[in-house]
Amino acid sequence: MDSHPNIYQPFPVFIARTLPQISEHRLFQLKLEDGGTWERFGHQPGQFIEVSIFGKGEAPISISSPPTRPDVLEICVRRAGRLTGSLFELGKGSRLHVRGPYGRGFPVDKLKGRKLLLVAGGLGLAPLRSLLLYVLDRREEFKDLILMYGTNNPDNVLFKYELLSFFDRNDITYFYSVDRDQEGIWKQYVGVVTGLFDQAQLSPDDTCAVLCGPPVMYRFVLEKLLKLGFAKENIYMSLERMMKCGVGKCGHCAIGEKYCCMDGPVFNYTEIEHIKEAI
Amino acid sequence: MKRIHKESLKEALKAWEEKYRVIAPRLTERDERIFDTFDEAWFTLDYAKPSLPLKHALFPQSEAVFQVDQGIYRSIIREEPALLFGIRSCDLKGMLQSLSFMSKDFDDRFYTLRAKNTAAIVMACPGQQSPTCFCTTTRSGPWADGGFDLQLYENGDSFLVEIGSSRGEDLASSELFEDASDPAAREKVTSFRRRAAQSIPLVPEIEQAMEKLRTTGAPDELWERFGMKCITCGGCSFVCPTCTCFNVSDRVLTEGSGERMRSWDACLYAGFTKEASGHNPRHSQALRIKRRHEHKLLYHGDRDTHGGLCTCVGCGRCSDYCPVHIGALEVARDMSAKIF
Ligand SMILES: Cc1cc2nc3c(=O)[nH]c(=O)nc-3n(C[C@H](O)[C@H](O)[C@H](O)COP(=O)(O)OP(=O)(O)OC[C@H]3O[C@@H](n4cnc5c(N)ncnc54)[C@H](O)[C@@H]3O)c2cc1C
Ligand code: SF4
Ligand code: FES
Repeated sequence: MDSHPNIYQPFPVFIARTLPQISEHRLFQLKLEDGGTWERFGHQPGQFIEVSIFGKGEAPISISSPPTRPDVLEICVRRAGRLTGSLFELGKGSRLHVRGPYGRGFPVDKLKGRKLLLVAGGLGLAPLRSLLLYVLDRREEFKDLILMYGTNNPDNVLFKYELLSFFDRNDITYFYSVDRDQEGIWKQYVGVVTGLFDQAQLSPDDTCAVLCGPPVMYRFVLEKLLKLGFAKENIYMSLERMMKCGVGKCGHCAIGEKYCCMDGPVFNYTEIEHIKEAI
Repeated sequence: MKRIHKESLKEALKAWEEKYRVIAPRLTERDERIFDTFDEAWFTLDYAKPSLPLKHALFPQSEAVFQVDQGIYRSIIREEPALLFGIRSCDLKGMLQSLSFMSKDFDDRFYTLRAKNTAAIVMACPGQQSPTCFCTTTRSGPWADGGFDLQLYENGDSFLVEIGSSRGEDLASSELFEDASDPAAREKVTSFRRRAAQSIPLVPEIEQAMEKLRTTGAPDELWERFGMKCITCGGCSFVCPTCTCFNVSDRVLTEGSGERMRSWDACLYAGFTKEASGHNPRHSQALRIKRRHEHKLLYHGDRDTHGGLCTCVGCGRCSDYCPVHIGALEVARDMSAKIF
């Protein structure tokens, strides 16, 4: 075999199960064709894969499941265009092609032994879930765990049953919010996700904050965190960029001197605060 | 050092053709000077600055990165020895910089194998080839200081030949090449270089612009002005020896079969950074112009520059071709006019 493989060529996998999430969002469980586990894939929480359907293109998609659960690789996909739209037409047993894992994920080793504040907005929960489940699976290696998750309305809560299951646990504190609740069915906080900060008891000195959501959420959450006294080096965030190759060659994902696909998608705030266009 | 008579050059090219696909300067019926497959009848040495760098020899405008045949994916990495005759040192520097980029972290085998299989014969420039040349500023010319197989210095009715690699040794091993290791030949090369370098004026505004970007950055107003002018043709990127951004698309031949293509792209296009959500971090032409020029003058590590000043190699083609005068020279001059 060529010791330098073709970095653009994906390998085949199949869909073991599809689980509808909310409207236009679906969870796909992927399995390797030889029946093995994903352990040898060597992925870390926060990394992504490139998903291909020939003729429909390729798209970067976050890995939603943690390496502690290697039987399947889970991706949560929003129907956005050609590739993602075609995925929705595939069912159990269908073949697709992937390559990866790519990018620098969450700094798990640095987070160990720390208190964690995870803040997700919308589909940002998809990548953050890989870290969330990782921490829950290795709970003793981390200290307090606080989750804040905001969506625009009660119909758009991803991973609803998983989030509900936390009601039974006492090793995670969670806060859920919706921007609007027209039907008046939401029992928790109504308002933007930053409003949750007033409810939580945070200790900014020894907590690491990990953010994942749309750009507008970052601006407000960062302002809040800094005001509360979080040190910049204790804030991590996953950035989204238009990506084509995923391997640092096509140039699409460049942010200043960084390449989001190689140096990110997870960045420490101190690495990007000086780059005007980063957030 | 060796020497070859000008009238023997075609013989040498013909001999190289047996082993390599030879690309050399030629005239066209319309009296243009282009680089193409060697053709004895149309071959010319009178070509000044070639209108395009030969970046497409290593990085074709569009190429397949794998084939799909009835759902089966297959790599197609072909190896074909090629020889580029008469390229300029600025363009060679561009290739060396691109090779560093394409081989770091993940190895782009399409680029790196082609680079490995391609011999480079540089024609040292005797002087400025056009008023937009500024290779003495970017440390990429007028002769190459490494990375070539052979380098030719014009010397009356012959060329002095500098050997830069073992492949170059091999290329210059036939009896067409005479030994020229005498001190007089060395002296000729030294004075050739001195005369050439002196004829190409330094452009201090390039380093001033770099310094400005490193410290305060250029004012938004400057980028906005250039952004208003840019007609988004992408030409500056396509003629640039160091621009290697690409897009990826599928060429479907029949249902379930075809090729995945990668094709040149340009950061000047609005869609280049537009995400599926509609959010676009570089949402104005001003930001896109800023990106292009900052990438050349500010954002590069030592490894990327390959001994050059920055990732602009001073060929001047963006200044030659931009229909609205937004080349590296114009941008740098504008930027430094504001500090002094
Ligand atoms: C690191 C990273 C992680 C990501 N993780 C996830 C994830 O976990 N889950 C997820 O769902 N997404 C994720 N994304 C986003 C995902 O990559 C994009 O949604 C995906 O690339 C879209 O590809 P596509 O081929 O489906 O869309 P494209 O066809 O490329 O469409 C893109 C845009 O074009 C528009 N468009 C499409 N078709 C048409 C048409 N016919 N006419 C007009 N406009 C059209 C769409 O509205 C959309 O705005 C991630 C992105 C990155 C960079
Ligand atoms: S060549 Fe000039 S007009 Fe064309 S994209 Fe480049 S800067 Fe804009
Ligand atoms: S996605 Fe191609 S360089 Fe990052």
